[in-house]
Amino acid sequence: MNRRERRPAWLTPSVRRYIRRVAYDFHVRAFGEEMARVNFLPLEERKAYIRDMIDHARDRSVRLKKPARGVTP
Amino acid sequence: MRLTQTDLDRFYESVVVGVRAKGGLCAITSGMACIEFGVAETTKDCDVLCEPPSARILLNVIESSELMGSRGSYRGNLSPPLDARWLRGGWTSHFFWKARGAEAYLDVFGVAPRGSTPWAAELRGLYANPHTVAEMKRTDREKDWPFATALGSMMLAAGDARGWLHVFDVTTLRRLIKRIPCPAEMVAQRPVLGLALRSDESLDHAILVEKLYWNALDRARLRVYERAVRPYAAAVRKARIPRDKSLKFQHETRMERARRLLPRNPLREHGLPAFVQDARESVARLVPGANLDYLPDVADNFRSLIP
Repeated sequence: MNRRERRPAWLTPSVRRYIRRVAYDFHVRAFGEEMARVNFLPLEERKAYIRDMIDHARDRSVRLKKPARGVTP
Repeated sequence: MRLTQTDLDRFYESVVVGVRAKGGLCAITSGMACIEFGVAETTKDCDVLCEPPSARILLNVIESSELMGSRGSYRGNLSPPLDARWLRGGWTSHFFWKARGAEAYLDVFGVAPRGSTPWAAELRGLYANPHTVAEMKRTDREKDWPFATALGSMMLAAGDARGWLHVFDVTTLRRLIKRIPCPAEMVAQRPVLGLALRSDESLDHAILVEKLYWNALDRARLRVYERAVRPYAAAVRKARIPRDKSLKFQHETRMERARRLLPRNPLREHGLPAFVQDARESVARLVPGANLDYLPDVADNFRSLIP
């Protein structure tokens, strides 16, 4: 069974657009406009953007070390 | 030469691929999975879920994986050995690779914290599934919660009703519930959804209390493990394991201490009723007069640790 066939009946294109609009508004409020745009980019572009952000932070000597606690939240 | 994040991501993926190629099972979760699912988290580390029986395979893969000539090493005195017995008990093993211009950090879970379903039964390629990743985001850290809501919305947009369990932003929840059916099964699992369906004005308060409850559960869980790890961590510190020793040597040294000093499953010893009661009391202290009637039953979220 492919993904389209598994979709529930209520998930019409219009409902899907509605969810994406609500989700986008949430991303803007929670993560800011720039990251909201990034989050809705196609996968490879999104990954590339984030990788560039991390590389930029490293180049600016941002501390990225992670403490070990024995157990992780 | 400095390693780029693209190289690092490939390195982490190669660890997972290496384990699977040898018949083991592990999957990337947390930040890297969030990026995959459409919520960008600027994470540079890798969290991996590993089926406990695959622990030995993963340890061998870590030992044989070099990062710019650097070998993998245990990280910190608190890290338990990567062994099925402790992974099953909810412990996390920590590793790192450190070379000039390159550092990699890998955390290994056997049990997904708060995971209500077996993560290994539903994978997305090299990654864990969004439902498990979202459950893992119900932490005591404020920064994690928006990721849960974003993953929940994404799941609903894909037709997965379990997305309802992860939407914690009140405005988003109110808007979504206007047009999308919320099955009774989801309401049974998460009672605040009943308030959302009735457009009840107390929804804001109920969700705040619900989040505080998950915060308190996470703090209580961490306290149990942090208390349990102390004798073991002191013994590992005392052993002064040289960094240039092989991973096998580091592992055996930790194993010897763990057998004597590290309880395998401290949460089970603590027990679910006491654990839940601690968290409920914590919420009641934080919000005097809080209505606790809409808190979810969390037994499923801890069943793999406290059967």
